Amino acid sequence: MKGTPIEQALAEYTAAAQRPAPGAQPDTRELLRAFHPDHDAHAKVTLQVGPNKGDICHRQVAQLLQADARIDEADLAGSPVTETDVLVIGGGGAGCAAALVAQQQGARVIIATKLRLGDSNTVMAEGGIQASIEKDDTPQMHFDDTIRASRQVVDRELVAEMVSDAPDVIRWLIQQGMQFDLDDYGDLMTRRAGGTSAARVVYYRDYTGLEMMRVLREAIRTSDIEVWDYSPAVELLSSESGYCAGAVISSLKERQHKLVRAKAVILATGGIGRMHLNEFPTSNHFGATGDGLVLAYRLGARLRDLDSFQYHPSGLAYPQHLAGTLITEGVRSAGAYLLNGRGERFVDELQPRDHVAAAIIRECAEGRGISTGSGSGGVWLDTPSVELRNPGLFEARFPKLIQLGKKCGIDPRHQPMLIYPTLHYQNGGVVIDRNGQTNVPGLFCIGEASGGVHGRNRLMGNSLLDIISFGRRAGAHAAGRAHDRGHKKISIEHLSNLRRELTLAGMPLDSKGPLLFPGYANFENDSDYAGLRKNSEREGMQ
Amino acid sequence: MTQRPLNQVLLHPGCRVGPELDQWLSGHGGEGLARACAAPGAIIDAIREAGLRGLGGSGYPTHKKWSFVAQQQGTGDKYLICNGNEDEPGTFKDRLLMAETPHQIIEGALITALACAINRIVFYINPDLGLAIDNMHQAVQQWRGTPPLQTAADALGRPIEMEVVASSGHYIGGEETAAIESVEGNFPFPRGKPPYPAESGVHGCPTLINNMETLANVPHILRNGAAWYRDLGLGDACGTKIYCISGDVLRPGAYELPMGTPLSELLYIYGDGMLVGKKLKAIFTGGPSNTILTTTDLDVPLDFESVAARRSALGTGAMIVVSHGTGIVKRVTEYVNFFAASSCGQCPSCKTGTYYISMLLSKIDTGEGTRADLESLINLCKILPGSGRCHLLDGAVKVLDSSLYHFMSEYEQALN
Amino acid sequence: MSGNAHEIHLTINGKDISAPPYLSVIQALWHAGYPRVKSVGCLEGVCGSCRVMVRRADSRQVTTELGCQVLVEEGMQVNFLLFPTPTHHRYQLDEIKNSWEVQARFHQFFPEAEKCRHCGGCNTTCPKGIQVEKGVELASKGKFREAGELFGECVLCNLCQTACPESIAPNHVGLFSRRVTAYFHTRPSNLIRRLERLRKGELQVVT
Repeated sequence: MKGTPIEQALAEYTAAAQRPAPGAQPDTRELLRAFHPDHDAHAKVTLQVGPNKGDICHRQVAQLLQADARIDEADLAGSPVTETDVLVIGGGGAGCAAALVAQQQGARVIIATKLRLGDSNTVMAEGGIQASIEKDDTPQMHFDDTIRASRQVVDRELVAEMVSDAPDVIRWLIQQGMQFDLDDYGDLMTRRAGGTSAARVVYYRDYTGLEMMRVLREAIRTSDIEVWDYSPAVELLSSESGYCAGAVISSLKERQHKLVRAKAVILATGGIGRMHLNEFPTSNHFGATGDGLVLAYRLGARLRDLDSFQYHPSGLAYPQHLAGTLITEGVRSAGAYLLNGRGERFVDELQPRDHVAAAIIRECAEGRGISTGSGSGGVWLDTPSVELRNPGLFEARFPKLIQLGKKCGIDPRHQPMLIYPTLHYQNGGVVIDRNGQTNVPGLFCIGEASGGVHGRNRLMGNSLLDIISFGRRAGAHAAGRAHDRGHKKISIEHLSNLRRELTLAGMPLDSKGPLLFPGYANFENDSDYAGLRKNSEREGMQ
Repeated sequence: MTQRPLNQVLLHPGCRVGPELDQWLSGHGGEGLARACAAPGAIIDAIREAGLRGLGGSGYPTHKKWSFVAQQQGTGDKYLICNGNEDEPGTFKDRLLMAETPHQIIEGALITALACAINRIVFYINPDLGLAIDNMHQAVQQWRGTPPLQTAADALGRPIEMEVVASSGHYIGGEETAAIESVEGNFPFPRGKPPYPAESGVHGCPTLINNMETLANVPHILRNGAAWYRDLGLGDACGTKIYCISGDVLRPGAYELPMGTPLSELLYIYGDGMLVGKKLKAIFTGGPSNTILTTTDLDVPLDFESVAARRSALGTGAMIVVSHGTGIVKRVTEYVNFFAASSCGQCPSCKTGTYYISMLLSKIDTGEGTRADLESLINLCKILPGSGRCHLLDGAVKVLDSSLYHFMSEYEQALN
Repeated sequence: MSGNAHEIHLTINGKDISAPPYLSVIQALWHAGYPRVKSVGCLEGVCGSCRVMVRRADSRQVTTELGCQVLVEEGMQVNFLLFPTPTHHRYQLDEIKNSWEVQARFHQFFPEAEKCRHCGGCNTTCPKGIQVEKGVELASKGKFREAGELFGECVLCNLCQTACPESIAPNHVGLFSRRVTAYFHTRPSNLIRRLERLRKGELQVVT
């Protein structure tokens, strides 16, 4: 990346309480079209096969949706079969909530998770969870705010259900043993999220997600729910009548494929940050590779808004080992400026996330950024200016940022931090109804993997709400299938359709999905897992 | 092969009088102490010339250890801890000495006290060794108020206090500084060094700690002379050693033999060979450092230097014999589990390290292990040693490292 | 990448690795082309997945840390710790009838907690600097709110559990303390009022 070298930029930087306002700003739509990654023409393709054939989709996502499967019928010979009522795929907040509710309703539950239970984006959520509980707030206002933020491209019924659930979601979390910050009278404290009309975010310090996740994880671990960790799902199973009937799990511990025959499957696989769309760093955890989208799509589930992603403006850009780490929006709300390589403000820092992100990208693309010398770069988040205006503010309100600074060897009170937009959230996903049910019978989808709840832009605090609200709903409805007779025959026959369609559409069969792990983790070359690769491939290799 | 003289000194029938002091004194008992009282200043020289070494496993020259304590000036108390916490795998010699020959230990302790100007003697004994602690109690009681003890006190110039203290029974309580904590009434947590016990031990006083077998030799050296003791050993080695042979042999037991007796003799003459139908695979040397000897080491003289030259360690002189069909990985897992269970908890690298090694070993042993697991074990052998306050972790790593060296193919075959 | 001008040499899981100084040990392993998918999680230090043992050059000490937070250093030796540690404790909060019973039930669920020998290993091993031992002591005395407070930053890496010679699971003791505090004592009137209005159907959303 071209730009002022970081050493030079740092030498030229001087803290100042006030700085001149940025120059004239282009229209948001123009700015987005020119610089927001969603609008990169290269990044968009039209899907050739599957339920969303003809729809626009991000190129990298499309590549996976239209890829061949990781396994073949031949790979399943001798694989053990386990029976259960409900199979939850994914061990984040959504999956745990669904599993707990399903089990409480009498269903036998297995959670299969790619990493460990709780290794998820949930655990990293800092801000809080939205629930209209204050006197001057109503579920209707929560609804209206969510619709407005979504740019109207949203499933209104889902939003109505979610905002009406919200207070009871908080009660349920307290009953699982989750703590929230309380005032002197024992009432829940609330704070305001950007773009909302009331103080509605309840929280536990800036560790809301961590507190939620460890409580849910503990509730699962102390219960009889079976947890399979290091067990990514690589394919769903289908019945002859087109139901989802379980999944093929690749056990990284036993290094074999295992079949789970289930009466209902709940996909709670999270987002796509680790696909590094458009080569962006990400704030997401290691396992966020969009596996659920791929699995659901192959079985015929409809997806939506797959060209819309949230890039959070303030991802750490330096030091490199922490690249992508989120710096909370609160720092900009507190008045931190953004400065380019010339030490100038270039955007109104309190514009919506997509606008600010696009402006940062523009500065860097046009050579006005700050270069780290190792290919990356960014702009200054001018934290010292805030400290000058409000001495002591960081220590009191942003302890986690000070902590982050220590890890970087930077004191944000005296030195600016280098930031660049970071891939944060998948706005769209699998289409669901109010119970988390997809258009494939027996298949549920919840949390970040699902779509329609946030439209094309998500509000802070609505994600933690989404996962518990729809997690509980899907858990309850999936458990309702426990009394079904079960499926006579399970197979991966739907893969033949996929291959047929791909071939007819002239698509190559040389890539495969789901991704499971980002390429740099070298999973595909790990000899420990050779046994999990396709028989045909292994033979080819020998 | 020639038959060596068996049980010449410590396990000689004349010493095995149990707690009866009269019987002890009616034999040669008391003669060593009398010589010591006559010339306390000559004791350390005699011990040096005899070449006596720490027989609890360290092999450290005894006279050096004594000299550090003897040099400590001042009029305050000085302590001797007679270490009978014996708990190492395969080791059962000290319990035999304490139960059957308590008086040679007590006499040895008194001579040691004279040599180092020590006035407080603590017999620190594992409470799980019932007969040993009972007989030591009785034996100590019988010394009280006797003329030989009075003579020793006169030679020292102040009264000598002797007491029997039950240890906590934790293996780690055998570590020197842990023993000091235990004698003070605390949990046996090893202390950081410095200060060394010779400067600051029990209640801050100079403290000497010796193994029971080491002390038992002392009266005999004083009575018969350093040259006699040296000549007992074979080659360059001095004195005798009580070897504890156990495992798949016909006659397991404790045999006192010249230091430096070849392993093959211990195994085939005294142990009377392998059990019927069993074929020798390896020998784990017991003690603080379990290491492995193999069939190519049968000729090794069992003394500190010779065993060390085979990448192993004599330790307490325990030889645990295993035969073909015994899984080395499983055996090592059990030893590491022993150390893991014994870790006091102060150093996470030790507690978590032994736990983690044990987990990887079990995984490999049960056919679940991967090459990465094996690589991790090899790596931990490099990273962990020396990171604990005491040497417990080093012991666990040694047995692992030794098994990896000799039986790598067995590990590799067990991989999934 | 700007080339090898300033590379750090270290070993990770026994493999010799060279990496630029700005990488974490996980990134360094990837950088060198070695696979690593287990023991990697949030990469932000809050999921407790990437536990490592670290021995720095010229140091006798071996520390336990979170790999995503450890930058490469010259001569450093690193070993990943990948262990399954589900708690063996089974309990449901609703088994506890009321807050008078919490203390008795705690000692039923966690009988080993009062056996703490105060070795301090849990404090030393905690990558978050939590006063773990004190937390266990407070919980044993029935001071659950205070005990739970100490575990506010706990990421359940389970290192304290492996470090405890009495097989106490301090992190789960901490979490139990936190959970009973919320379960029995969090009763926010603003939330309760809102739930009551919703129950009466007063706050319907018009789509």
